[in-house]
Amino acid sequence: MTVTAVDPDAAAISKGGAEEQARAQRNLGWQLLWQVLMNQRRALVLGVVIGITWTAAKVAVPQLTKAAINQGIERNGALLSWSLFIAAAGLATGLLTAGRRYLAFRESRWTETLLRERMFAHIQRLHVGYHDRAQTGQLMSRASSDLQQVQQFVVMIPITLSNVSQLFAVTLILAFTDWRLAIVALAPLPFINVASRRFSNRIHPAVLAVQNKQAQLASVVEESVSGVRVVKGLGTESVQFNKLRKEADGIREVSLNAASIRSRFLPAIDLLPSLGLIAVLGYGGHRVVNGDLSIGDLVAFNVYLTMLVWPLRNIGMMVALGQRAAAALVRVQEVLSTEPAVQSPERSHALPSREMATAVGAVSFDDVSFGYGEDHLILRNFSLTIAPGESVALVGATGAGKSTVVRLLLRFYDVVNGRITLDGIDLRRLDVHELRRNVGVVFEDTFLFNDTVRNNIAFAKPDADQATVERAARLAGAHEFILQLPNGYNTPIGERGFSLSGGQRQRVAIARAIVADPRVLVLDDATSAVDPSKEHEIRDAMQTVMKGRTTIVIAHRPGTIALADRIVFIDHGGVAAVGQHRELLETSQRYREVLASFVDESSVVD
Amino acid sequence: MFQMGGGVAPEDQLDKSETRRVMLRVMRMAAPFKRTAYAAVGCVVVTTSATLTAPVLVRHGIDAGIRARDLFQLNLSVGSYLVITALAYVFGRMQYVFLNRTGESFLRELRLKVFAAMQSQSLAYYDRNKAGVLVARMTADIETMGELIQWGLLQFLASGFLVVLALAVLFILSWELALVVLIVFPVIVIASVKFQRDSNTAYLTVRERVGQNLGTLQEGIAAVRVIQAYAQEDHQIKRFEESNRSLFDSHVRSIRISTWYFGLVELSGVVATALVVGIGGWLVHRDTVSLGTVVAFILLLSSLFDPVQQLSQLYNGVQSAAAALHKLFAILDATPEVDEAIDAVALPNRGDIVVNGVGFTYATGTTPALQDIDFTVRDGERIALVGPTGAGKSTLAKLMSRLYDPTTGFVTYGGVDLRQGTHASLRERIVVVPQEGFLFNGTIRENVRLARITASDTEVEAALERLGVLAHFERLPEGLDTEVRERGTRLSAGERQLVALGRAALIDPAVLVLDEATSNLDPGTEAEVEAALERLMQGRTTIVVAHRLSTVQRADRIVVVDQARIAEAGTHNELVALGGKYAALARAWEKSHSV
Repeated sequence: MTVTAVDPDAAAISKGGAEEQARAQRNLGWQLLWQVLMNQRRALVLGVVIGITWTAAKVAVPQLTKAAINQGIERNGALLSWSLFIAAAGLATGLLTAGRRYLAFRESRWTETLLRERMFAHIQRLHVGYHDRAQTGQLMSRASSDLQQVQQFVVMIPITLSNVSQLFAVTLILAFTDWRLAIVALAPLPFINVASRRFSNRIHPAVLAVQNKQAQLASVVEESVSGVRVVKGLGTESVQFNKLRKEADGIREVSLNAASIRSRFLPAIDLLPSLGLIAVLGYGGHRVVNGDLSIGDLVAFNVYLTMLVWPLRNIGMMVALGQRAAAALVRVQEVLSTEPAVQSPERSHALPSREMATAVGAVSFDDVSFGYGEDHLILRNFSLTIAPGESVALVGATGAGKSTVVRLLLRFYDVVNGRITLDGIDLRRLDVHELRRNVGVVFEDTFLFNDTVRNNIAFAKPDADQATVERAARLAGAHEFILQLPNGYNTPIGERGFSLSGGQRQRVAIARAIVADPRVLVLDDATSAVDPSKEHEIRDAMQTVMKGRTTIVIAHRPGTIALADRIVFIDHGGVAAVGQHRELLETSQRYREVLASFVDESSVVD
Repeated sequence: MFQMGGGVAPEDQLDKSETRRVMLRVMRMAAPFKRTAYAAVGCVVVTTSATLTAPVLVRHGIDAGIRARDLFQLNLSVGSYLVITALAYVFGRMQYVFLNRTGESFLRELRLKVFAAMQSQSLAYYDRNKAGVLVARMTADIETMGELIQWGLLQFLASGFLVVLALAVLFILSWELALVVLIVFPVIVIASVKFQRDSNTAYLTVRERVGQNLGTLQEGIAAVRVIQAYAQEDHQIKRFEESNRSLFDSHVRSIRISTWYFGLVELSGVVATALVVGIGGWLVHRDTVSLGTVVAFILLLSSLFDPVQQLSQLYNGVQSAAAALHKLFAILDATPEVDEAIDAVALPNRGDIVVNGVGFTYATGTTPALQDIDFTVRDGERIALVGPTGAGKSTLAKLMSRLYDPTTGFVTYGGVDLRQGTHASLRERIVVVPQEGFLFNGTIRENVRLARITASDTEVEAALERLGVLAHFERLPEGLDTEVRERGTRLSAGERQLVALGRAALIDPAVLVLDEATSNLDPGTEAEVEAALERLMQGRTTIVVAHRLSTVQRADRIVVVDQARIAEAGTHNELVALGGKYAALARAWEKSHSV
């Protein structure tokens, strides 16, 4: 469960500081909503105006009914025209209620839609360091369920305003008709509001408890199904069954608890208006008999009272909805107010153009230190110069810092000390997009989008033509298998599409990097996920694309390491040795050890 | 308020006879709870009747009391109204309690039955059915019904009852005015039916687009590193906007549908009032009806119109619950493929495993996965099964441990056909340890104990000690009581495998069937897993589906499975000398080691 900012108990205990901070955060949340709503003010104001007009028409109906009874029925008056008036008012309320509903729902959905787009755009721009800490699921719930809470609140704004005006209008009319009877009749009604609010507050945690239990049961089912091989292999069906029974009992218990809360409130809320109606019949009836009140008034009182039931309930709900929306807004605002830590400089330097300079793609790490946390440095005084067009293999044990080098080169993070340059320019002086367009990476775990093969390859240049895409696919050795897919280049892949093998995925990723046509190509462990018998296919593809391009290869397998001009052995956050594979094997004991550990790993017969 | 329950896709909609069958079966299953069910229905009848009596009492108060200036009659009405309200409150509370008790007990029963049915299915069933779908049956489908019980079922019952009763009361009070109401009533009914259909379609579209939009959102967050590495943020933002806007459009379409409906409902209500007042007034003038009757009609109109609205909105919920039940019953009805024989006997303690003329075809496949398999594993022997992916070696291992039953031929253990053995004795003799160490939520200790739930702490520790890995786990800050969290993400892949081996050691079986992991471990843990495995295999018959040459070399005999048949069998040296398929595999392996 997410931690809500609104926790009255916690605030009361810590008093002062924490409370003030929570209030300040809530204010920021409301400011965000206000700012968004101001952009939709026309439609919202229209909705409110329609809502209030609807109130007027709605309130008129019992007045007309009363007149029809008093003058039309009791005194043989113009019955037909009164009836027509009522029908006309009916037409008006019908149209107006439709308009109010349409505007309220459409605008609230629009608010939700726009806020979600803002969040997505912001999330896209937030630095990688932020994403390392944030969980996908949590960001998802900010952009989905939290915004839903906001939507549910916004939809109630025009509806509540017209409900409030209805409440006032009805109270006034009743008071003018017969203030004594009005007091007696209206007395039970505030309790509807109180009860609704209390109910909303009580039922919310109970419903959350039910959802919580349901999630626990779901996780037992999930593990039993995913782990069915273990369950069947060991014959432990009864263990899982007992776990499930415990959860099923739990659900029953919390659901019954929620039901008992409903049973305490809902019938009472339903029946409170009846007390008003009884009062009207009893006290009002006596007043009619005494000649102080007309029968028409008595009926009108009845109708008005039933008319107040929904507004009172809604206002009660509105308070609870407002509290939940406030908490949601705080969380949304938190994400939106986080500044991206890695940004382009205000005035960026341009990379030397490829036409002008004879050779581009010079990379240099000067005395670079970097760590993800504050206390622990991954790279210490790391220096490495790569000439344009050169290919370098980074070799090192797990955790030595190979992938960190790549991340720094992409400026996913900024160095703590020292500097990194591309073609002589400090990365921090470059436009971030320009830098990244010039450094193409094939990541260790290939991410394929739920899209066609074509669009996955053309990812870096969405408007690339078919010829470019095919050329890249050929170079990456992917063209042949793509043609054999059901729809060739238009076959949807990714989680929801056609599933590719590890090697095929890698080749699509390499083709993606080729389309980007970067100055510097980085292959981060591109062969690790590939069956050794297929490894040579990837190796061929890699060899082709490395030609004449600065390339950094991170590799475990000797065959892949051998592709590079030079090998940089990284150990303990620094460059431990540089040279040819044979040389390093002969001179460095540690290099032999690290390499030997890789060989063990790849011992696969299949 | 609007749209509870959820939509039913056209392919899930049940026809009348199917619905009837589902309902009858629900009744049968709910039989144990019939007392609370009857009590709930009784409460519904009482409260609904009370709701309808109120306007009648008001009429009596006006006609017999106020207009006749008879204060006793007026007070009588008021008093009865109070009593009726109190009754409605008491029974209203009770109906919630009884209905939920019935419903939740039924759901609990359903959860247990469906889960037990799923668990009694063989592995083949899980091969055929996607994990996500099975989980959805146990969660989303049952929760649909839970929602219906909590919010809808009561109202659905009450609304239906209310409409019928209200119509009856109207006709009893005045058939002339009742006919007037019947002019408007059909409009509401027809509009409600149309609304129910349209809103169902619109809701399904919304649900589908919500799913798509969440998918795009998730992709954008999960792939943020790739996106930023290729400077494609703007393109992704545009892509998200497209899916987000299409979701908005579907929302607006669904809003339009509810807009005209609710407008029409409100209009009809007031028009009906106008008709009742106009025609009723005329009838009062002719002394056909009383003024009190007209007032009662005005009050009763909402009792008639509101339930129709509610019925139409709840209908979707009831329908989707019926569709969900239909799917759940299908699970209950599936017969387990690997079932215990009625005359099952305990398998002998030790013995040879004999595979005799075995063939196997997957239910989803057309060509046999295995055919004409004949061979014997002697007691205490170590066998390695090798061969290309999909050749059938894993299937063979599953048949030898009765995770599947063979299509033709038979497998015996110590002379007893596996199909004649009791489940309990089978899993004591033959234990299968799958490739990846799959952990369940809970502590390490609980994960090991899973294999034999009655084992004491000492026995669990002894089992780990026998593998030489107890010290490893005790070094963790919380030792064996470390929570493994989310599928064991707190443990390394190697540690997870150690736990899996610990389970097998706890059972202490005669036969061990291992499906070796293809994925790699870090070198340090790798050695520890190897050592633990070696200890576990001591003194047991072992069948390994092998992916590593080191494992293969340690086997007494190697069986090469290729294209659904046994291609070669023998020791490493014999097979290399033979120069066949195994020799080729071994050569390929040697090659990938050298630079």
